[in-house]
Amino acid sequence: MSRIGVFVCHCGLNIAKTVRVSELVEFARTLPDVVVAEEYKFMCSTPGQELIQNDIKKYKLDRVIVAACSPLMHEKTFRKVIAATGLNQYLLTIVNVREQTSWVTSDIEVGTAKGKALINGAVYRARLLSPLVSRVIDVNPDIVVVGGGIAGIQAALELADTGKQVYLVEKSPTIGGHMAQFDKTFPTLDCSACILTPKMDAVLQHKNIKMMTYCEVTEVKGYVGNFDIIVKQKARYVDHDKCNACLACTEKCPGKGVSEWDEGLAKKKAISIPFPQAVPQKPVIDRDSCTFFLKGKCRLCEKVCEQKAIDFEQQDTFVNIKAGAIIVATGYDLMDTKPLVQYGYGKLPGVYSALEVERLFNSAGPTGGKVTLRDGSEPKSIAILHCIGSRDKNNHEHCSRVCCMYSLKFAHLFKEKTSADVYQFYIDMRAAGKGYEEFYNRIIEEDVKFIRGKGARITESKEEPGRLVVEAEDTITTKFINLPVDMVVLSPAIVPRADAKDVQRMFNLSSDKHGFFMERHPKLAPLSTMTEGVFIAGVCQGPKDIPDTVAQALGAAAEVLTIVSKDKMELEATTAIVNPAVCCGCQNCVRVCPYGAPSFNEQKNVCEINEALCKGCGQCAAACPTSAIIARHFTNEQVLAEIEGLMEY
Amino acid sequence: MTNFKQIEENLKKEAKKLLEAGSVAVVLAYTKGADEKHPQPFAAKKADDVANIIFNEYCNHNLARYIVRYAPGTKIAVAVKAADSRAVVVLIQEEKIKRENLILLGIPVSGMKNQKTGEIIDEKTTGGLTNPVVYDVLLGEEIHTGKPVSPYTVLEQYEKMDKDARFAFWKAQFDKCIRCYACRKACPMCYCDPCFIDQTKPRWADKSPQSHGNLMYHLTRFQHLAGRCIDCGECTRACPVDIPLYLFHKKVAKDCEEMFKQAAGMKIEDKLVMVDFRVEDSDKILE
Amino acid sequence: MEFEPKILGIACNWCTYTGADLAGTTRLKYPQNLRVVRVMCSSRINPSFIFRAFQLGADGVLVGGCHPGDCHYNTGNLYARRRLAVTKKILDFAGLEPSRFRVEWISASEGNKFAEVVKEFTEHVQILGPQTKFKIAGVS
Repeated sequence: MSRIGVFVCHCGLNIAKTVRVSELVEFARTLPDVVVAEEYKFMCSTPGQELIQNDIKKYKLDRVIVAACSPLMHEKTFRKVIAATGLNQYLLTIVNVREQTSWVTSDIEVGTAKGKALINGAVYRARLLSPLVSRVIDVNPDIVVVGGGIAGIQAALELADTGKQVYLVEKSPTIGGHMAQFDKTFPTLDCSACILTPKMDAVLQHKNIKMMTYCEVTEVKGYVGNFDIIVKQKARYVDHDKCNACLACTEKCPGKGVSEWDEGLAKKKAISIPFPQAVPQKPVIDRDSCTFFLKGKCRLCEKVCEQKAIDFEQQDTFVNIKAGAIIVATGYDLMDTKPLVQYGYGKLPGVYSALEVERLFNSAGPTGGKVTLRDGSEPKSIAILHCIGSRDKNNHEHCSRVCCMYSLKFAHLFKEKTSADVYQFYIDMRAAGKGYEEFYNRIIEEDVKFIRGKGARITESKEEPGRLVVEAEDTITTKFINLPVDMVVLSPAIVPRADAKDVQRMFNLSSDKHGFFMERHPKLAPLSTMTEGVFIAGVCQGPKDIPDTVAQALGAAAEVLTIVSKDKMELEATTAIVNPAVCCGCQNCVRVCPYGAPSFNEQKNVCEINEALCKGCGQCAAACPTSAIIARHFTNEQVLAEIEGLMEY
Repeated sequence: MTNFKQIEENLKKEAKKLLEAGSVAVVLAYTKGADEKHPQPFAAKKADDVANIIFNEYCNHNLARYIVRYAPGTKIAVAVKAADSRAVVVLIQEEKIKRENLILLGIPVSGMKNQKTGEIIDEKTTGGLTNPVVYDVLLGEEIHTGKPVSPYTVLEQYEKMDKDARFAFWKAQFDKCIRCYACRKACPMCYCDPCFIDQTKPRWADKSPQSHGNLMYHLTRFQHLAGRCIDCGECTRACPVDIPLYLFHKKVAKDCEEMFKQAAGMKIEDKLVMVDFRVEDSDKILE
Repeated sequence: MEFEPKILGIACNWCTYTGADLAGTTRLKYPQNLRVVRVMCSSRINPSFIFRAFQLGADGVLVGGCHPGDCHYNTGNLYARRRLAVTKKILDFAGLEPSRFRVEWISASEGNKFAEVVKEFTEHVQILGPQTKFKIAGVS
């Protein structure tokens, strides 16, 4: 016999509008073992919480059922409420009468009937719940930040300043990310390098940051508080401990590669640093363009290196890191617009993508900051095409959020650096950030021409060979336009990194339908993920501008601190255990567990589960033919009872 | 036609050799029972026991059933027909036994008979195979006559039935069940102790022989044997009320083979399909 | 009166249950014949739960999990796919309409899909009519 209290929330009218709360309460009172049932306007409010707590004491309740919003919303809140009275927190059951009942029907009869069935199921289940004790584990205070763009840099600096050890893992040979490629930043037009490079340097200098460039995470094991991470240090063929960054090697090197940094607009030496302000200032050899690796002889860099830092024998190495929490800030790619053949990118030399143009503006870029076409001439008219692949059902439905603003920035810089006519082809202008509308107005006054219509096609001009024609419909005048220009800038969709799926799997994240990493809750947990202890920041979560990215990075750092600032933490107690008396030793659990938690004890001929590794999915319990595995909080009896209760009404 | 007498002689000879040499602790074979039609499984433990070994067309028991009774590490010789050998393969895959602890005395045989009906069972069960899929010693010539028979042909008439008729058919069958559990006793794959149906936490089904408890028992057992049943048909021959369980097992085996491209117990290195997956498994299997 | 089927839903916590919540947050309307049991992963679903649900009077059972490749537990749903595929074949050969049992991959962002699947499945079960084959006599 248990003593159950049922508490039904109105949630203002959110629930009460389509569920007759009083009727649910009356109904609950008729159910077995229910000793009290009450309703309240807002059960999650302080008076609501006190109502529950008082009833627990008054009626000596040993099970509590709260019928309110989704357990994903307030299960933790109510667990704390009942725990405060001394009742074990796992004796709580949440009934989802809001998200999965009142909000999805407009018929109060139907809503009320479903509410009853759900409460009945919950009562059946609650009777079989057991108190569970959470495991307390030691927390490793170190932090891994993945991605060395502005988000990763900001988070790493913030965390390192609190005295924590931070590992900043970056895939490319330098930190800085996309922001380091930009010339100016909107809407203030302050120079990107001026605000970023001091931060890059601060990372390098910080005694609490271990910067790991040219590295990739290859494996993540463990759980919140105790992650085991393997990082691959890709072979640089330069011993960075010996290298004194004199860069004599880069001068002598005859190898010519393509500079990813300059978006392929320039060449780079086979041994090089990506750009002059790169951090670290130490070079890496690109195997694909190195004369020695290609032809077996050269080794000029080795000859000029006084430090004897060149090492052609270097291999990839693997480093094990232990950490308590992880921030994933892996950034984005721009959509490859070559498949959109109507825009001619990659075929028509006058068509550029946004990042290429960023490099053209940049004084450290391939043209030294001069805006010239590939033939060296200055464009006389330029069209900027918004939403290429974004807001497009055939490609990416989402809005890439920053293109309107950087397109305005481009227009301004074109006006500043050339005497060209500048045209914007847009669907809608979206200027919703602080100072953005003002910036938009400023650019309008700079004699930039705005045409409301998406660029439909770019063709080569028949009349003037070498020039381009932009075809579009001006949706204000409803006229079709054929505009001859010298240069076209495409603003491609911001898309998840090409390897986002791998990263997602490695860190056990979810992704939204566009492939961006998904937050635990869009409003209330925007930086947490479904994996405890792993946080996300920046554009890997969705397109955003630099201020938002930095704000997220700081937020993620704060989230991380809530974990690593304590030396111990409680884990969920909902793990699986084996009842050895009924284990037949078939080892199905061992075969199906993705975490290696079960193992076979040959002496006893039974399986055993290492709870520290168990993540509580319950897979083993379903694979176990004898029901020897008890998936705590989701046991066979509990689930069957709930099914029975739900099917009764 | 298989020369049963010759196989019996060879079996005795091999068993004697192994026991005399002490290379195995036990030889699993058959001995005579109440009459010729009812031979019994037999564990020969010393050379003298070998005289009691027999082999005839009614020696259907799947001897793999008895292997798991011996302590891990025990050296065992087993007389294996095609179906027994497949059961041994599954047991090895499931790590219940180690290949190196087994000496498999392979018996190629056709013309085995059902002791109740006297009918030849080759095509109905044993997956249509006549030769063991794995063995150390072969006690006769491999059989390669006759056209290969699909073990699933027998299912056709049941697959063609409409759903209501098929439900009525199985309901009538399961309603006969007296829950004696002879099926699981005879099954080489049913080594769970206790069986889920004997559990009290949870009680999956009523323990008395009522329709719904019977349905739960049998359907769950079919699920547990999916990808593991090697089609020996012992469950059906053991059944005192003649429920054609083999048909259901065969159907599940057929579905598994179609979905997962693998038949149970054919190769030791195969993975167990139900505790395995392929990323490229198609969602079509759920349709 | 139109037949109102009882439909059991079993949804994984991370994708389908969250997707169902999203359907609510976006105020999508769908038939309320579904009652959802939350489990942590679709791989938790013991096939006997399905058999039992039909015995207890479910007219349809809908299982929801993460899309293959997106399982919160990496591979849980890939095992579940095989396991539940076999369950479905067993139901079929036992003579139950296999379409009374459905497995759908619904991600946390697919509130729309959740609502559509529930609507479509409910209508389908409505057409099939009451499930009496497995139902234990006397169950309400």
